[in-house]
Amino acid sequence: MSELLTVKAIRDAVAEGTVTAEEIVKNSLARIDAEDAEIGAFLEVFHTRALEKAREIDAMKVRGDVLPRLAGVPVAIKDNMLLMGEKASAGSKILQDYTSAYSATVVARLEEAGAIIVGRTNMDEFAMGSSTETSAFQKTRNPWDTSRVPGGSSGGSCAAVAAGFVAAALGSDTGGSIRQPAALCGIVGLKPTYGRVSRYGIVALASSLDQVGPFAHTVEDAMLVMEVIEGRDEHDATSVELDSKPVAELLEPSMKGLRVGVPKEYFIDGMDPEVRARVEEAIEVFRANGAEIIDISLPLSPYALPTYYIIQPAEASSNLARFDGMRYGTRAPGALEDSYLTARSEGFGLEVKRRIMLGSFILSAGYYDAFYKKSLAVRNALRKEFDEAFKQVDVIISPTTPGTAWKLGEKFDDPIAMYLADVFTTPANIAGLPGISIPCGFANDLPVGLQLQAKPFDEMTMYKAAAAYQTLTDWHTKVPQA
Amino acid sequence: MWTDLTLRRTQGGEFLPSKYMDINLDHIAKLAKLRLTDSEKETLGRQLPSIVDYIAKLQEVDTSGIDPKAYLTDATNVFRSDVPSTAQAERDAAVAAFPKSAGDALEVPGIFN
Repeated sequence: MSELLTVKAIRDAVAEGTVTAEEIVKNSLARIDAEDAEIGAFLEVFHTRALEKAREIDAMKVRGDVLPRLAGVPVAIKDNMLLMGEKASAGSKILQDYTSAYSATVVARLEEAGAIIVGRTNMDEFAMGSSTETSAFQKTRNPWDTSRVPGGSSGGSCAAVAAGFVAAALGSDTGGSIRQPAALCGIVGLKPTYGRVSRYGIVALASSLDQVGPFAHTVEDAMLVMEVIEGRDEHDATSVELDSKPVAELLEPSMKGLRVGVPKEYFIDGMDPEVRARVEEAIEVFRANGAEIIDISLPLSPYALPTYYIIQPAEASSNLARFDGMRYGTRAPGALEDSYLTARSEGFGLEVKRRIMLGSFILSAGYYDAFYKKSLAVRNALRKEFDEAFKQVDVIISPTTPGTAWKLGEKFDDPIAMYLADVFTTPANIAGLPGISIPCGFANDLPVGLQLQAKPFDEMTMYKAAAAYQTLTDWHTKVPQA
Repeated sequence: MWTDLTLRRTQGGEFLPSKYMDINLDHIAKLAKLRLTDSEKETLGRQLPSIVDYIAKLQEVDTSGIDPKAYLTDATNVFRSDVPSTAQAERDAAVAAFPKSAGDALEVPGIFN
């Protein structure tokens, strides 16, 4: 992949001294300045900061210091991640003037590892959306076809990697917001096991579902980012102490003897037949290279999406109660109650209001048990069903999405059609599993994603299988024509 | 109320649970601290019932004997030692990030008139 600058290639070149971090970052910034007007991936580019950080890396190199793991690698962060001293607006008007007073743990860890944060990327408002169209600020376009959406909610981070502006980017995945856009833009997107990565300093959508993860072109690159961001953080009580961390250099890609579950519920009527065909071809690659393909059934998986649309709005309506103009953003005039109402009603967009209303309804007297409590029971049942399946198989393979990227505006006024784009990705969030989407070909010239899911905290098995697929195919080396 | 639904369902016709619910937009907006425009009320009044019908599909799942769980990790209570420590945010940055301040203090409107 000569044209593709990977995390690994950049990291190694900077460490060897064949290129300076400044040259790399200047090149990244020049690409963004020249081409992002057409894509709309970035809400803000940190030109000065990025160049300063790059020169710090180069100075370390001149001094002969050992460079950190990701020294000189340009990365982008989603607009819901705090970087001290910079704005973070979560794609919302209500936070458009908010400046971070500290850095998110994942962002701080990236910077400590020498990665250069070049900007913050567009997203659906508060990560509520599947196309990045609910952003209060701009539309983002799919680099493969600029009349189409990049997916969402992390559409800006995803498009930035797919367009080649940066080697990797961070997104957050609450119901598919990393894997779904990765599929639609033809790159790798990873949602780690719930608890693997700290959520500290991330603007919360649904706290029991949110996880941060990387976009990249290769599984190895995604691992290089994960090594840096994952692990226990005292500021997030749900983050977990990891016994061991997968190391990219030690990865041995292999499919031999791998037990691959193919759940029939993920091949539904109404899905794009070309998407189905690409996924079936990918499954044949696994079969031909020593994997055992096992047909399985996960009858509760179709209920993951309605479960998600109870838990997520319920948690979101509670999380977003803090945005009332008192502590963040812009204070609205008037007496207290009036000030709250004005700040929220003028600051939130329609999709956010829709979900806050839905969440408030679900949690209201008379409906709490029927909706919220029921959804928590289905959630537990869904997890038990996966636990049973993983006694029989090592990974579960499916399409990431039922179709390819759609036209801007196409699903914008039909919330349920939009929500259905996440039908195959929400189960991993509901059950707390890791999931990855990797490119597996094209349907009518648009990228198709293959999803692998594994047991909680068994990312290693997923990486081995996904990396093995990438050594046998070259879909991940395809880049959109500028 | 929801609990009556199985009865009503047997009376025939399409299963549209939202028809039997009191989706009172003004009441919900009050709970949600939102002031909706007429156009938003019209849109949400149309969309919320169809979303409710969709999520009501969960009633089909038999969850008898299964505990509702809000989190699926094994973690129970996570404690840290009760010692003072310095917050990550510097004082000035924290004050600056607040919408209004008076000198070194954070400023909020009065609760009582």
